[in-house]
Amino acid sequence: MANRRAFMKSGALALFATGISGLPRFITEAAAGTQMLPMYKKNKTLVCIFQRGAMDGLMAVTPFADPALQLARPGLFMSPTAGEGGSFNLDDRFAMHPSLKSLFPYFNSKNLAVVHGVGSPNTTRSHFDAQDYMESGTPFAKGTASGWLNRAVGLLGHAPTPFSAVSVTSSLPRSLYGDADAIAINNLQDFSIQLKGNPMAAGKAASSFEELYDQTTNELLNKTGKESFEALKILKSNNIKNYQPANGAVYPNSALGNSLKQIATLIKMDVGLEVGFAESGGWDTHFNQGTTNGIFARNLKDFSDSIAAFWQDLGERQDEVTLMTMTEFGRTVAQNGTGGTDHGRASCLFVLGNDVAGGKVYSNMGSLAKDKLEDGRDLPVTTDFRAVFSAVAENHLQLKTNGNLFPDWTGASLKMML
Amino acid sequence: MNNNPTSQTPKRTIQYAYVFGFLFLMAFVKPAPKMPYKKAGLTEQEAALHLLNRFAFGPKPGQVEEVVKQGLENWFLAQLQPAPDNEVVRNRLAGFQALNMPTDSIANTYLQPAQLIRLAIKNGIIDKDSVDKTDRPAYRDAIKKMQSDYGYRPLQELQRELINQKVIRAVYSDAQLQEVLTDFWFNHFNVSLTKNQVQQLVLPYERDAIRPNVLNNFSSLLFATAKHPAMLLYLDNALSISNENEYAKRQLKGAQRLLELNAAKKMMAAASISDDSLQKMDAMESQMTAQIKRRKSQGLNENYAREVMELHTLGVNGGYTQADVTALAGALTGWGVRPMYEEGPLAKRFSNLPPAQLVRRGLVVEDYFLYSGEKHDESEKIILGKKFPANGGYKEGTEALAMLASHPSTAQFIARKLAAKFIADEPPTAVVEEMAKTFLASNGDIKEVLLTMVMHPGFWAKAKEKEKIKSPFELAVSAIRATGTEVVAPYQVFTWSEKMGQKFYFYQAPTGFPDRASFWINTGSLLNRMNFGMAIAAQKIPGFKTNLLALNQNHEPESVEEALQTYTKLLLPVSDQKENSERIMSIVRAQNIDQKIASATKDTGGMQEMQNQAMTQTNNTPLKSMAQVVGVIIGSPAFQRK
Repeated sequence: MANRRAFMKSGALALFATGISGLPRFITEAAAGTQMLPMYKKNKTLVCIFQRGAMDGLMAVTPFADPALQLARPGLFMSPTAGEGGSFNLDDRFAMHPSLKSLFPYFNSKNLAVVHGVGSPNTTRSHFDAQDYMESGTPFAKGTASGWLNRAVGLLGHAPTPFSAVSVTSSLPRSLYGDADAIAINNLQDFSIQLKGNPMAAGKAASSFEELYDQTTNELLNKTGKESFEALKILKSNNIKNYQPANGAVYPNSALGNSLKQIATLIKMDVGLEVGFAESGGWDTHFNQGTTNGIFARNLKDFSDSIAAFWQDLGERQDEVTLMTMTEFGRTVAQNGTGGTDHGRASCLFVLGNDVAGGKVYSNMGSLAKDKLEDGRDLPVTTDFRAVFSAVAENHLQLKTNGNLFPDWTGASLKMML
Repeated sequence: MNNNPTSQTPKRTIQYAYVFGFLFLMAFVKPAPKMPYKKAGLTEQEAALHLLNRFAFGPKPGQVEEVVKQGLENWFLAQLQPAPDNEVVRNRLAGFQALNMPTDSIANTYLQPAQLIRLAIKNGIIDKDSVDKTDRPAYRDAIKKMQSDYGYRPLQELQRELINQKVIRAVYSDAQLQEVLTDFWFNHFNVSLTKNQVQQLVLPYERDAIRPNVLNNFSSLLFATAKHPAMLLYLDNALSISNENEYAKRQLKGAQRLLELNAAKKMMAAASISDDSLQKMDAMESQMTAQIKRRKSQGLNENYAREVMELHTLGVNGGYTQADVTALAGALTGWGVRPMYEEGPLAKRFSNLPPAQLVRRGLVVEDYFLYSGEKHDESEKIILGKKFPANGGYKEGTEALAMLASHPSTAQFIARKLAAKFIADEPPTAVVEEMAKTFLASNGDIKEVLLTMVMHPGFWAKAKEKEKIKSPFELAVSAIRATGTEVVAPYQVFTWSEKMGQKFYFYQAPTGFPDRASFWINTGSLLNRMNFGMAIAAQKIPGFKTNLLALNQNHEPESVEEALQTYTKLLLPVSDQKENSERIMSIVRAQNIDQKIASATKDTGGMQEMQNQAMTQTNNTPLKSMAQVVGVIIGSPAFQRK
């Protein structure tokens, strides 16, 4: 077996010898598994889904027992009804929307928790500002350079690997801005040296690049180059394109479904994923949001089915993973004049994992009577989002935070983890 | 503080006179002071290359020699002068519609999606009950038709023009430093297309507030950005209001009195009044209550005040407190945006205001900036130890900003940031100190600060290390320039920059992109830098035309070795690029390439078909290996550095 140096030389040579040797040797070697020992030890992984646009928490998990809700949204109110297509009564106070059918079993098995009345102390109702504050984790400071998930990576207590923090988006989300390495990959298949219409040339160039980066005196380029090529070989050899979800899981063919499938792929490949990030859009339901059918129901079904498929796919790896959802704010208690709801304050979020004290709706929600609402219109924030984020991240990832995860916040984490 | 904005114009003239005088001196009177690159061990060529790498988007073919011929000092001094677009740029921008449109025309032409929907409902083009129902294509078509019927244009076109003009200017402008600095100052005073409210305003922001000021005084940049609608909305200052002023008090009192009157009338008339008028009274009452509530619920927003000190001027350790932030926010209350959207309720009401009303309500209008005295906090304030007496009005905000612009902490902060951009991620302190001194002595003249920098040995001492890593945008543009690529589709630079980790104009946080190597280089982005190199060399980027043969005066290299030698020299000019050329060469020599090429032509078997394909595509195998060679050079470590 050729040693590494010799192997690289032959690889580099391939570039300049057009068409003599077929596939460059390094690809065949990688495929044969000579360098395929897992690079990294198994880690705990936190997966976050940001629901952009502000999900109507009062419809997703509806406090149906409060008569004020029915008064405020005569056209949107849903009460649990028995039988197929009905919503799921959780505790005689809250019910899950019928679209959450695929997640409901995890509530029953106590792996899924709902936190209701979650939001930010900053009362902005601008999507941009509220997302910005939630992702930086500093609800009163715009200029915070880092995102809270990036700070979480920095608090892991060990050096992050190239795949410690991955966002399956086209560019890095605010949550992952910061000093710790974090990457955005829209599609794992793109993580390669490639040239449209000429895969052979790409393969040859790859080995030249590998050698050049191996030899450069620039430390950063040298180190990152090495990591890139190692990662590339691992991803290549695992054949992303033909990834088969396990346990009969079927991901919806949607943006979120595809994102979660790729995160599952990374988890199973043991590349050291510790923070995964995905997005889900279309929650800004000002017009005709519908009830059991309609835009909200469709979106929520995709959300639910994507997460359920992910969880099923993980199978025995579930112990390592906790998934948390979040949205920038909730929507008005009352329906508006166009069959929808407008920007409000608190919403709800979901946490799924074997270390979650699930099967419960965590809520300090009061009455929805008009005079009890924030500004006479919105569900007040009764749980600071940081209380949930810190509970989940600190427990699941075993962070050593010392208050650094959410600077300037002195509140207590929500007790919702086992 | 003597630099309130009214005194700026004469002062600026004086500074220009000073700079021109300086230029004159340098050019004619005695030999220009030499940039101290020789002491740092650099040849004239190496120094010219360094200037082109740092103050331009990299050299074009032959440009190093041109700069040497012109004289390094002369080239740099010329770059310090603001310049209009050259002919090439003008021609390429000729078809752009928004580029010369006034801001309010843009706001009334490129409507936001929500504005379009509301308008369509208002005009009865779509039924409000149909929005978001299943028949989406029909509804999209209706909106599209309305757009073209009413002469509106898609917002994406505006963003496309914004992006394309940046690329075109970076590639083709002769005023390279102006473009480099436009990139730099935009990032320093960042606003973002991710915020819906500013989407229409980013193009005018760069065009009117940034680019004309990048070689001006720092304070002119600060004021231009502070008053621009894009910044006022991006950092929420337009929302920041106070009720601590006469107008608001009067208004609130009036509303309160009306309410009481109404209540009394209701009581007195309760017995005899008809249900109908009682209902009207109730309606009026709830409207009034809502108005009072709305007014009271809005308040001070500190976002801009905090970031202008932390990010734009003093720096996070610049010696201000939370109390300063609050006081400055108070001083800037009432700074807002003139209503522009003609279909909205405010623009008409505003344009109908008689001038006397403007004055009575304490309104100041400058372009699209609107100061509303009725929203200003008129109480006394102390900012950074300076007392601002009560009833300071609009002037108090301008005085506070002027104070920030000339503060010693600002001098330090800006000097350091410029040095980090042009010298190294961790710039040498000695240079920063000198630059800060110049900043203070010249009232923040950016030209002077840059001159101090290039005349300092510290600027050149690090030149050999090529420590700065190109941003993705810089990488793409420098590759285009180096290869003489003809850019028909500038937007491709944006697409590739995003892949490489820089979705410019979309950075969400007011910090702007962190300008350091460790931010740009990670596993995901690095592979795409290599992919970009191969794609541009192999003509795989639609709308990019790269002619590698023409680059080498239509001389076809005889061997791969010659191709390597030739193109390494062309793309990485000047001898100090040993790292790359020698390394690549050693790989080549060790493999006895010529022989391999010979055998390659004889090779048959499985590869024959692919080869034939390649031959028919380009009909030129050497060309193909030239493309590979060039691709490797552009993707190599040496080309990532500058």
